[in-house]
Amino acid sequence: MRMTVLGGFLGSGKTTWLRHQLHEGVFKGAFVIVNEAAETPVDDALLQGSSNLAVLAGGCACCVGKADLIALLRKICDERSSQTEDRLERIVLETSGLADPGPIVEAIRTDPILVHHIIVSETLVMVDALHALIQLRSEPLGRKQIEIADCMMVSKIDEANPDDLARLLATLHVINPGAQIFGTVKGTEVPLPDFDQSEPEHLAEVLNEKALSPIFPSKLALDETVDWTSFSVWLSALLHARGNDIMRVKGVVRTPAGRLLVQTVRKIAQSPEILPEQESREDNTIVVIGRGYREEDLARSLKYFAGAS
Amino acid sequence: MCSACGYPEAPGHWTEAGAANMAERLRSRFRRADILERVLKPYGLNVHDGGLVPGIQISNQFGNQTIVRDLAEVWALAEQWTGSPVDPLDPRFTTSTEKDS
Repeated sequence: MRMTVLGGFLGSGKTTWLRHQLHEGVFKGAFVIVNEAAETPVDDALLQGSSNLAVLAGGCACCVGKADLIALLRKICDERSSQTEDRLERIVLETSGLADPGPIVEAIRTDPILVHHIIVSETLVMVDALHALIQLRSEPLGRKQIEIADCMMVSKIDEANPDDLARLLATLHVINPGAQIFGTVKGTEVPLPDFDQSEPEHLAEVLNEKALSPIFPSKLALDETVDWTSFSVWLSALLHARGNDIMRVKGVVRTPAGRLLVQTVRKIAQSPEILPEQESREDNTIVVIGRGYREEDLARSLKYFAGAS
Repeated sequence: MCSACGYPEAPGHWTEAGAANMAERLRSRFRRADILERVLKPYGLNVHDGGLVPGIQISNQFGNQTIVRDLAEVWALAEQWTGSPVDPLDPRFTTSTEKDS
């Protein structure tokens, strides 16, 4: 059984890419595993195109969630062994944006059972054309993800400044010269510009990982006092002031216009997508992933903006 | 182009996605102005949105007055006028409820 590991930093476009591939039938019949660092899964709502889907929420699969991932993979292998026809041939693992794919691949290769069933055939890493250079400068994790990739897919290239994009591509080529690089826009492959003449960014040799406070996910429940207007005023202010610390915000908010999928990457918020009407326990719960603040302050501040305090 | 403000027509800001019709949109604009007025008052800024012309009117105590299109411009202008961004995680917004919880 072949396994594709899909990694990339928070908000780099992993789910968007995977969703497009599933829609196009690229991973037909594959078992899709989505790992989310936060306890509230959001991405599974977007990946309904897959018939076999499992969500591992509440722990990054490269560290605290590793045991759950191994258990799930063993279960999949067990079930496959009892199948006689139409056996599962591929697993796609979408890691959380906080995961280092290295330890995940290592864990599968060294597990006494999985090693006989699963070959990790490719590690794909999404690279955000808008934010990757900042991440490479400041986040050791961002660099680790690039280093391990067999193939890098640079997303959002239609929105990036051509000079910055060429500089990013030259930098990626220096960090991981062996990996192929592709460009994508909303999951569709597009040609990349020539970057031979571009000067790569000179990244500092050693990043002091310990000096950075850890990135952590928080769950924020929007109660009846918080409507869309107060939430959006609050979030827009938060992104303006703290966009470099708030790496990712995602969740589904119920509004008069429907169920809105809110997604932000650093200072940039996507136009909210209206999701099909359905009951979900996770509606009105927002996941905020970032660093440099106290978790409880998010709720207090939101309450203040909503006028409930 | 809007004949009142002269702004070219632009796709709505993401924060305006929650309203399904004109009435809700207007109600949301009034509520937005109320929240902004309350949040920005301590910074010496006044916010008004009468619902008649597009945009949000902001003024400060030095007599500066301008109309901005959306919330992103509100926060950028507030930073420009006050010298630092309005941070929702500032203690002024997070300590008032501390006693209740």
